[in-house]
Amino acid sequence: MKLLTKSNIYTTITTVLLFAMGIFIVYQVIMIRLDSEVDEQLLSTKEKIVKGLSDGISPNEYLANIGQKIYVRKIETQTIFGNQFIEYIEKDPKDPSSDGDITQRELLFQTAVNGNVYEVTICNSLTEGKKIGDYIAVVVLIFMVISVIILFLLNRLISAFIWSPFYDTLTKIKTWNIKKNEVLNFKTTDIDEFHLLNDTVKDLTHQIQADYHNLKEFTENVSHEAQTPLSIISTKLELLMQQDNYNDKQNKLLVQIYNATQRMHKLNEGLILLTRIENKQFVETSTIELTHAFDEKIEVLEDFIEAKQITIEKHYNKQITKEVNPILLTILLNNLCINAIKYNLEEGGIIRITVDEDSFSVENTSYIDKINRQFLFDRFNKNSISGSLGLGLSLIKKIVDFYNWQVTYSHKDGIHKFKIYM
Amino acid sequence: MRILIIEDEKSLREDVVDYLTENGYKCDFATTIKSALQKLSDVVYSCALVDVGLPDGSGIEIVEHIKKNNPEMGVIIVTAKNALEDKLQGLKIGADDYLTKPFHLSELSARVYSVLRRRNFGGKNSLVFDGLEIDTTEKKVIANGTQLQLTKKEYEILVYLASNPTHLITKEALADAIWGDKADMATSFDFVYSQIKNLKKKLNEADLKNYIKVVYGMGYKFKD
Repeated sequence: MKLLTKSNIYTTITTVLLFAMGIFIVYQVIMIRLDSEVDEQLLSTKEKIVKGLSDGISPNEYLANIGQKIYVRKIETQTIFGNQFIEYIEKDPKDPSSDGDITQRELLFQTAVNGNVYEVTICNSLTEGKKIGDYIAVVVLIFMVISVIILFLLNRLISAFIWSPFYDTLTKIKTWNIKKNEVLNFKTTDIDEFHLLNDTVKDLTHQIQADYHNLKEFTENVSHEAQTPLSIISTKLELLMQQDNYNDKQNKLLVQIYNATQRMHKLNEGLILLTRIENKQFVETSTIELTHAFDEKIEVLEDFIEAKQITIEKHYNKQITKEVNPILLTILLNNLCINAIKYNLEEGGIIRITVDEDSFSVENTSYIDKINRQFLFDRFNKNSISGSLGLGLSLIKKIVDFYNWQVTYSHKDGIHKFKIYM
Repeated sequence: MRILIIEDEKSLREDVVDYLTENGYKCDFATTIKSALQKLSDVVYSCALVDVGLPDGSGIEIVEHIKKNNPEMGVIIVTAKNALEDKLQGLKIGADDYLTKPFHLSELSARVYSVLRRRNFGGKNSLVFDGLEIDTTEKKVIANGTQLQLTKKEYEILVYLASNPTHLITKEALADAIWGDKADMATSFDFVYSQIKNLKKKLNEADLKNYIKVVYGMGYKFKD
């Protein structure tokens, strides 16, 4: 969830709650006020009635305050002393079928005047007052809804404005590429925190970039500088091996040293190749037809395919020509095909090559299980069985990246599939 | 046949000179462009081995000089950088072949042989041994008067071994020479092994028993 949305949600909820509480309180206050107003009126009527009764005027002749009804009846003994206020709701007597209930508030009291005991009920309708209260509540509610909407929009605008440098920074960090050697320039901001953030990010990226370049240079230098001593070691070894007078133990040692040196060579070559792709040293392109390239590759690898009795299935659905560097394409197809052969079943495996409009894939049966995907294309993530250098897949990835293609790996029913989207 | 080796790395130069001398070539060497040009004007060479990275400039200069003044001469470029540009430039101006460091000495010897053959030096296009003749123009192998039926790979292996007589050729060098960067397969050594086995069998049938010797664990030798 976006920061703006989140903060907006909280503000809106708070505002709505506050307004709801406000309406409730206002409504209650109005109602209490209304009741006490009515009670005062009832009491004033009571005074008039008591006075009238004592003056001997027939109770029915008293005019009550407007909207009041008075019921007086004679009783034997006084049971109630003081005033009793009762509130109840009844159906509208004029129109009992309607929904409009009428709220009544009445004052009941008994009074002894001139030896007679009277029970008096003064009835006052609250409906008008209640209606006014409801109107007020509705008006406040409408006002509240409008306020919330305005606040919500305003909040959004202000937040978007305030947070814009932050989002700018975020976008720039996101698109920042360590390999591109670019310096980050952020929007100037007068908010201290954002200013600090920008400065920190700038320092950090600068530091990371410097480290990255140092490291890169170091690896490059190491592999380049290692070439000459490695050549010397292996040449001298070959010369040493030319001698005849070794015993078996010495022979074995020599072979082991020689094998390790060869391995080191291959490794170094691979690393240099990776660096050269990274440094964009393969820029010349020529037009290559993909299915031809695959056919050529299979022909070259014929010996190995035959040795394992691998069946090659070709699904060339389209003839695709690409403007690519021939060396890079060769390395790419080489690695894909060699892996498919190397890790195939010892006998009777299948390799399926598919070429489509915008993708091509190499599928193969294999004696190894599904490969852990997470580090699949990392350097030196090698299959322990194969004794390989662990650079093949990382070379594939490098070349695919170089052309902004995509490579995916999937495994289904014992078949490994590497698919490249162009 | 005289070969000029232009290489500033002392250790490598010595090895190359030793190895090629053992293979029957007369070798001279130079360490700078200046001394190389001097040697080239004094002596007629059949082939030159030129390192691209020399202390006083690019070996490409020497290649250009040779091609201008002595186009008959074979030239093999050696580059340390695995650099495509050097290779392309070198081949464009007329180098016959190129090798990238590090290389197997046997590979170098085979390349030198192939360049000299292509350039028709010595007037012969075949390797002749006792009872065995390898005709590299026709790609035929005659053993005791009869032509051997060899597969392409068997033939390549035989030529490679024969251009490095009496030297130990490692399995790796042989696999590299025949399959190049595809040699990184566990199976490629088995291949070399089975090809050699077939080759030996075919030579045996023609009564040429001791031409290929297996040096256990290390590799093979031609005509011990």
